[in-house]
Order: sequence, then C-alpha cells, then structure tokens
Amino acid sequence: MKNIFKLISFSLISLFLSFSLANASSGVFKLSHDLGFGKDTNLDAITKGRLFQVVIMTQNRLVRKNLDGVTSPELATDWSGNADATEWTFNLRKGIKFHDGSDFDAEDVKYSLMRVKDPDIGSPAKKSMSSVTDIEIVDSHTVKMKLNTSFADFPLLLTDYRLRMIPSGSGDTIGKTGIGTGPFIVDKFDAEGTTILKANPNYWEGAPKVAEVHVIAIPDGEARVQALLTGQIDMNRYVPFTQKKIFDGNSKFNVSVIPTGNWRGMVMRTDTAPFDNPKVRKAVRLAVDRQELVDLVMGGAATVSCDTPVAPSDQYRLDMDCPQNISKAKNLLREAGYPNGIEMVIHVSTKEPTWPTIGEVLQQQLAKAGIKAEVKMTPSKSYWKETWMKKAVSMTRWNERPADSILHEAYHSGAKWNESFYKSSSFDKNLADARGELDFNKRKAAYQNAQKTLWEEAGTMIPYHVSKLVVTSSRVKNLDEIEFFSIRWHTLSVD
Amino acid sequence: MDIDKISEEDQKNIISKVFEVLKTMASKPSGFIGLCILVFHILLASLSPYLAPYDYKAIDPSLMLQAPSSEYWFGTDSLGRDVFTRTIMGGRTALTITFFGSLIALLWGGLLGIFCGLVGGKIDDVVMRVVDAFLSIPWILAMLLIVSLLGTSTEVLIPALGFFYGKGIVRVARAATHDVIAKDFIVSARARGHSNMSIIWNEIIPNVRDAILVEGAMRWSWMLLGFSSLSFLGFGVSPPTPDWGLMISNARGLMSFAYWAVIAPVVGLSSLIIGINLTADAFAKALGIDRSTKAPV
Repeated sequence: MKNIFKLISFSLISLFLSFSLANASSGVFKLSHDLGFGKDTNLDAITKGRLFQVVIMTQNRLVRKNLDGVTSPELATDWSGNADATEWTFNLRKGIKFHDGSDFDAEDVKYSLMRVKDPDIGSPAKKSMSSVTDIEIVDSHTVKMKLNTSFADFPLLLTDYRLRMIPSGSGDTIGKTGIGTGPFIVDKFDAEGTTILKANPNYWEGAPKVAEVHVIAIPDGEARVQALLTGQIDMNRYVPFTQKKIFDGNSKFNVSVIPTGNWRGMVMRTDTAPFDNPKVRKAVRLAVDRQELVDLVMGGAATVSCDTPVAPSDQYRLDMDCPQNISKAKNLLREAGYPNGIEMVIHVSTKEPTWPTIGEVLQQQLAKAGIKAEVKMTPSKSYWKETWMKKAVSMTRWNERPADSILHEAYHSGAKWNESFYKSSSFDKNLADARGELDFNKRKAAYQNAQKTLWEEAGTMIPYHVSKLVVTSSRVKNLDEIEFFSIRWHTLSVD
Repeated sequence: MDIDKISEEDQKNIISKVFEVLKTMASKPSGFIGLCILVFHILLASLSPYLAPYDYKAIDPSLMLQAPSSEYWFGTDSLGRDVFTRTIMGGRTALTITFFGSLIALLWGGLLGIFCGLVGGKIDDVVMRVVDAFLSIPWILAMLLIVSLLGTSTEVLIPALGFFYGKGIVRVARAATHDVIAKDFIVSARARGHSNMSIIWNEIIPNVRDAILVEGAMRWSWMLLGFSSLSFLGFGVSPPTPDWGLMISNARGLMSFAYWAVIAPVVGLSSLIIGINLTADAFAKALGIDRSTKAPV
C-alpha cells in the first residue's frame, strides 16, 4: 500500500514537472540590429534613435495589425468614433501590468501618446499624433481622444510601430529601461554590444516560448549575413536577394519571401541646386528603369513603385506606370537650363547592403539621359547622422507605415524626417483634406492626388517596395510570416 | 666602397647597368618568375582596353551570375557584367596609383631619411619622433579619414598613399645613411668644405640608392594591397571602374554559389603582389643587398 502511494505520488510529481517544463520558456533567440544611430541608440520608441528590434518585443501598442493586415485590438479591446469622427473612445484591456509591476491604465495611455507631441522630445512620430488635441481620461480603463479634424482612419494611425505604451512619468528613464507590457523584459541594454531580453512570464497573451532574446549590434550588412551563416544570429530580415541561393536548399535555414511596404530610394534635396528645380528631379525619375533595378538588385522580388511610398497592399496606394523615358528626361533637363546634362554624387553606404548596387545601376541608367553620377561610399556607422539629410543626394530606406503616416512623415512641409526638404502647399492640403473626409472614395481620391503630386515633383525617387527575404535558422519555429512589427513574439520558439 | 669606385660607377652606362641587374635577377628562377609576372601585369594593364571583349560597365539583368562559358570565360557578376573584361582591366587603376604613390614615398621618405641620418642631433630626434608617432597610427584609419574628408580621386589617393608608405622608408634611408657617413669619403668631403646638400647628392645617394630602391619596390606591393583594401571597403576606386578590391567586395557574399566572380580578381591581385615581391627580392640580391639584415629598422 505504501509503495502504491509512493508510486502515485511520484507519477503526479513527474506529471506536474513535465507540464511545468512544457510550458516553461526555453532557449535563446538571437537577432541583430545595424546600430543605425550609434551612441544615440535607445529604447524610447518615439525618439529618432529608437532600437525598434527591442521595443517591439518589450512594449505594446493600443492597436495593431493582425495576420491579415487589418487593425485589431492590442492593449485597447475595442474603440468607436463619434458621428463626425473627431472623437474616438478606446476601452483598455484590464489586469495588464508593466514590467516594473505597476498597473496599465488610462493615465499611461494619455502620458505615452501626449509625450509624442512634446516639442522638447522632437519625436519623428509627432506628425502621426498631430491631429490629437487632447486625451480625456473617462475612467481608469477608458480614454477619449479628441481630434482637431475628422479622421475616419484614426485607429489605423495608432498601429504606428512607435506608438508604444510606457508607464506614466517614465519618460526620463525609458530610453534605458525599455519598460512596457510586452512579452520580453530588458535584462541588459548594451546598444553597441549585446542587449539581453528575458521572457515575461506574466505576459497577457501567455508566457513567451523563448527564455531569452539577444539583440546584437552588427553595423555591416554583409557581416550580418555572415553572422547568420555561422550561427551567431538566428534571423536576418535584410538578406539581399542576390544571396538567396546561399540559403536555398540548405536544411540549416528556412527561407521565406514576404511582400512588404518597405522601400528603398534615392533622395534629392529640393533645397539644393540643381535639384531645387522640379524639372531636374522629374528628369532623374524618368531616366530610371525601375523594372531593371528590381531584376538586378532584388532578383525580381519587389513591386515597382512610381515614387509613391504607400505600400502596394495599402487601400490608398496609387498604381500607375512609369517606364523609363530618356528623351523626355533630356527635354526636361534642357527646359531646366541643363542642355548638357548634370553631374551628381550619389552617397551610399553598406548600412543597407543593396544601396551600393542600386547606386551602380542608377549610374548606368542616368548616364543615358546625360546625367553623370558618381557613386560615393560613406561610413556606414555614421550614415544617418552625417550623410542622410546632409548631402545633396543620398540613399534612403523606410519601413512600412500606413499611407497617412508615411505621406505625412516623409513629405509634409513640417515633418521632421522630410528627407528631401520638400515643401508643397497643394500636397499638404491633399493630406489635410483626406484626414477630414468621411467618405471613403473621396478620402482615397485625396490621398491619391497627393501621390500624383509626388510623381510630378517630389525629391525622393522610389523605384520599388521590397519583398523581404527573411532567413531564419531552422531551429526557429512558429515565426509569423508577416512584416516585422506585426509578429507575435510570444509564440516564437527555438529548438 | 671608396671615392675611386664611386667615380668608376658614375661613368658606367646606366642602360648597361640596368641590363646587367635584370640579367642577374632573371638568372634565378624566383627572379625570372617574378619579372615575368610583373611584365605580364604591366602589359595587361596597358593593353586591356584593346583586349577586353565586352564593355566593362554594361549591365544586363538577363546575364546575371552566368557561370564561366565559351562566351563569358570567367562568367558574369551580379549585374550581368563580364568578369573576364573587368578582371583584365581591374589592375590598371591600382597599378597606376600605387606606382606613382611609391615614387612619392621613395622621394620624400628617402630624402628625409638621408637628411636626418646626415645632420643627426636634435633635428634628427624631433623628425624621427614625429615619424614614430605617425607609424603608431593605423594607416587604414588615417586613410579612411583622408578619403572621407577629401574624396577618393586620384589626386587625393596618390599623395595620401605616398605619404603613409613613405614613413617606413625614412627609417631605412636613415639607417643606410648611418652606415656610410662614418666612411672616409664622407669625412674627406666634409674636410673639403662641401655643403650637406652636396654631400647628400654626390656621396650618400649613390651609396644608399640601392637599399632605398629595394625598400621602395617592397613598399609598392604593400601599397597595392593597401589600396585594394581601401577599394574592398568601398573607399578606393569609384564604381563602375573595374578594380580587383571592389570586385572582391561586391562578390564576396556570392562566393558559395558564384565563386567565379571572386576567384578571378583574387588571382589577379595576389599574382601581382607575388610578382612584385619576387622581383623586389631578386632586385635586392642582384644589387648585393641582404634584406634579412637591411629590413626596416
């Protein structure tokens, strides 16, 4: 009898342990970042130096996109607008705790979103929140956001990857602590080395399957590919398509191709001669053979864009044809007073592995229109600080954002990251009209008019939206095959 | 070595001496091979624009990463350009820039070293400490700083490389000068009231020239490697100019499946460096210089 009791006890303990172990987080998932902002790199999602690879794992938004790209609840459970879409009420998820143990409530929402508008912080995300005049705390888990204009797509704006919820009053320390309500907790922040995140056992969607995440600084794109090959990291979402063959058929890696709204482009500063003349900018854009760039640089895995930053899958995207037209480009240059063509220096770096190749192809294409381009390499570590928005012509890359966000952020006259220093009252008006328009078709027409204006006179040449080649180590399981900011990190596991 | 011997040497026909040295160099297998490789590369660099079967800058998506074939002997690169064309033209810029860079290095490094060796004293101390300070700076960092500030034009690269590779020659020239200044013919020249410039020109240079030339030849191969490193990092030659360092950099990520785009420029670069090294060694032996004891001081 005694033995039977012992046996039952042992079995129960074993069962309990096996359940515990099955549910426990285990393994280390390693990824890299490019140290894009050097020593300014921090964990405050709304600042320029935000290390988004970390904050997307440690902090949540109110609204996110689900696996189908549709807005869905995150820390807000549901929302509704008033009749003219100038007031939006959000009900918040209850029982959520920050990593420091404090409760998440309406006060935190007001604090997190209103500080985006703080001029002292100078957040690049400020434009996304520019229409919000006030956030009223209705009760501990309900907020009402008041807008200065009708904005039928307002919840879509809140899916911006930077609009993360942090504890009220934590603005001075968030850059180092990264505290949020996300599936991982910052254990050690080392921007230039390895940042270590630990699983949050109390995460509201369930404890993460992975025990630790290591985010390693590797500034050079080629070195990141090598790091993946040698097992130093488990995932690389920036593998150039020319290197796809390295991983194809290799059982150590999983390869997936994901169409995205991320884009690469060449910026011409509209405040600098000869690019202060819209005809010169249009001539450059017309001289580009976008399909050839897609084929040569991306191995065909990209969607041609006619200088619109709006993602191919976005409902407001303007689809148009923009074939290379050398004679028209030459005519425009002649009309602009440059009958013998122009000279330009395209500044590139290995910050983005495809930039030097894009520069080299552009050099050949532009030469046909009499545009003599020199491709100049600049140090990758200081690219965003010393080259981008500093030199007359430089390369750029942007991650996917909703149409309204990207059009405001990259082109609006008052935007902090208006990289081409583009100023157009008609463009700004189209954006304002779109935000205030409740009728979908009219709103769509306004956004598309704005994109037409960009094709005519913008300073940024956007040849394509990339399809992302995501390569992961085969030990990585359950990684959502979607764009970076919508991944459910708590479901990911490693062998 | 004495005054009579120098006078005798001065009277010799320069051309016949060059031939004599070349003959001695070619008499050893290593020297012969080195000379052949060097001459081959110089001829290739000179004639490649006429030999190249395709336009080195013509891009074509339909020809991306083609394996070697009868049509494209060395295959094509990621932009569909002919690797053979780019390889045979890939040494032109590097050879030209590093040749003139080496001349500048020889000139300033050699003269400054001889001058310091001759005058000695505080001037020598100060100059050598400054040279030491520069020697302690990693050349690649200094070069990156210069090209970042001034660009990568030939007008910048030649003097910059010449300056950084001349520092070592200062030490060699100074040490070689120390070997000869205690000789009788220098003392005699001083006693005759010759100026320092006269002594340098007439007495020292003829005696240290060979050691400095051999050092310069070695520096040439190092400079070539240095220049290719700059191109590899993207700070040497600007695209689309074919250059081995740049070609290796562009194709290194494709090595596992498009090895041809990497192997050709690697063979080009390494064979030229080996050729220069073998030639410099044979040159030293032909002049009776033992590089194992005359190595950088």
